[in-house]
This record gives sequence, structure tokens and C-alpha cells, in this order.
Amino acid sequence: MSRSVASTYPLIRMRIAIAGKGGTGKTTIAGTLARVLARGSREVLAIDADSNPNLASVLGIPPSKAQEIVGLPRSLMQRITSEDGTTKAVFSADPEDVLRKFGVVGPDGVRLMVMGKVGHGGAG
Amino acid sequence: MCGAHATVRGFLGEIVARAESDRHIIVDMEAGLEHLSRGTGRHVSRLVAVLEPYYRSMETARNVATLASELGISDVVVVANKVRDEGDRTAIADFCRAHAMQLVSEVPFDSGLAVVERSGGAPIDAAPGSPAVQAVIALASRLSQPAVTA
Repeated sequence: MSRSVASTYPLIRMRIAIAGKGGTGKTTIAGTLARVLARGSREVLAIDADSNPNLASVLGIPPSKAQEIVGLPRSLMQRITSEDGTTKAVFSADPEDVLRKFGVVGPDGVRLMVMGKVGHGGAG
Repeated sequence: MCGAHATVRGFLGEIVARAESDRHIIVDMEAGLEHLSRGTGRHVSRLVAVLEPYYRSMETARNVATLASELGISDVVVVANKVRDEGDRTAIADFCRAHAMQLVSEVPFDSGLAVVERSGGAPIDAAPGSPAVQAVIALASRLSQPAVTA
């Protein structure tokens, strides 16, 4: 059994979604996994896409800082009209800018983005 | 149309699909995987379905696995959480076998962790040596390998 993930394995780039029934401890596992991986060679982006977001506390981000996190404004989506007259909404911002602006950095350098707060300010 | 929902979908789609970034991405999602579109699903390298040793939780994980494969996520694995004893272990192993789900790791029930979580702290800071945190460290190395084998 390895003690240090970082030094034992050449880390492939992971894009992992973690899901399960509420209360299963998926957030505890997701947050702890993010912290462990962040001690390796790559930056870790943790995204809280739960409607009851609490990944921040598992990551060790203090409540005062977690409260400052704001969700993504809907203005990031832009309605475009194509030549045949149909419209669709497309994500119009640079995702890296969005990360810098709306993400917070916690212990071990894990960057957290919270999605679930989106829309709290208005009708969904 | 729900604008908030579309924004989340849009952002996830952009960030997960980004080929030039080399960061790891961990997304904590609801069981319905509502925020993943089919296009985004293809860029998710692995879905981890977390379950507990009781029927409804295992059924939810099974639904998650089905949804994930419909979204084009080819690599779906199961992590059993809060496992207390051999009975739990057997129930989960039987369920996974019956539904062709790949169980890759087990995290033990850990009363110390419950104490930490009540106070709102990070388990890895407050209880780094606890059995559950150690199990997640082991899980991380398991997931770090390109192909997870049971």
C-alpha cells in the first residue's frame, strides 16, 4: 500500500465526477481526494455542483472565506441567433477568467468553484 | 428554460473539455448528474459512484452508473463508504457483482470522522491518520492509474 500518491505514481490527468445518494459521504471523499491529489504535481480544481454545497468545509476552507464565494452570473451565457432564426444560449466567457474571478483557493492550493449557488439571486 | 442550470452546464462543458489544461478536476455532483451534458460526459475520464451498504444507496449508485454510461462516460467505478463489517462488505460485493459494477475501493466507517465533520473541519487536517482518510489516500493512488482493475 502506497503512502504517498504524489511520489509513487506518475499522475495521469484526472477529470473525475463523484456522485451518489445524499448522505453517502461523497462530498467527504471528493474533498479529501482533492486535497490528496493537490499534494502531487498538478493543480487541482474542485467543483461543487451539489445544490446543497458543502465541499468548502471538507476542503478546509474556513466558513468566513466560504461565505464570500459567489456563484456564476447568468450573464456568462449569451443568446445567439443563427441564420435560420433559431436561438441558443452559449457559454460566452473565458473559463480561465471565470476561475480566477469566482474561484477561491484553499489549503494545498485546491481551487474551488461552487456551482450550486447559481440562481439564488433570482427566479430559476 | 432555466438560465442558472444552463450556465452551470455551459461552464462545466468548457472547463472539463479543455484539452490544454493539465490540472486535475474533481466534480462533486448530485445523483441525477443534471449538470452533465452528453458532450461534457465524453470528457469526464471517470465517474466514481459512492454507495453505502444499504439498499436505497446501492440502487442510487446503480442509477448513477446507468446515467453515466448514457452520457458517454466509459469508466465508471464504485467506492463503498462507511463499511462496518463483513456483512456490509458481502452485501456490497454481491450487489456490484449482480449489476456488473466495478467496485474499486472501500472506505471504513469511521466514528472519528463523524466528530470532525460535526465541527465543520477538513478530515485530512483534523484526522489525517484516521482509517477513512487513509482509505481515501489509497483510493487516490488507485484512481491515479489509467486503468483501474478490481
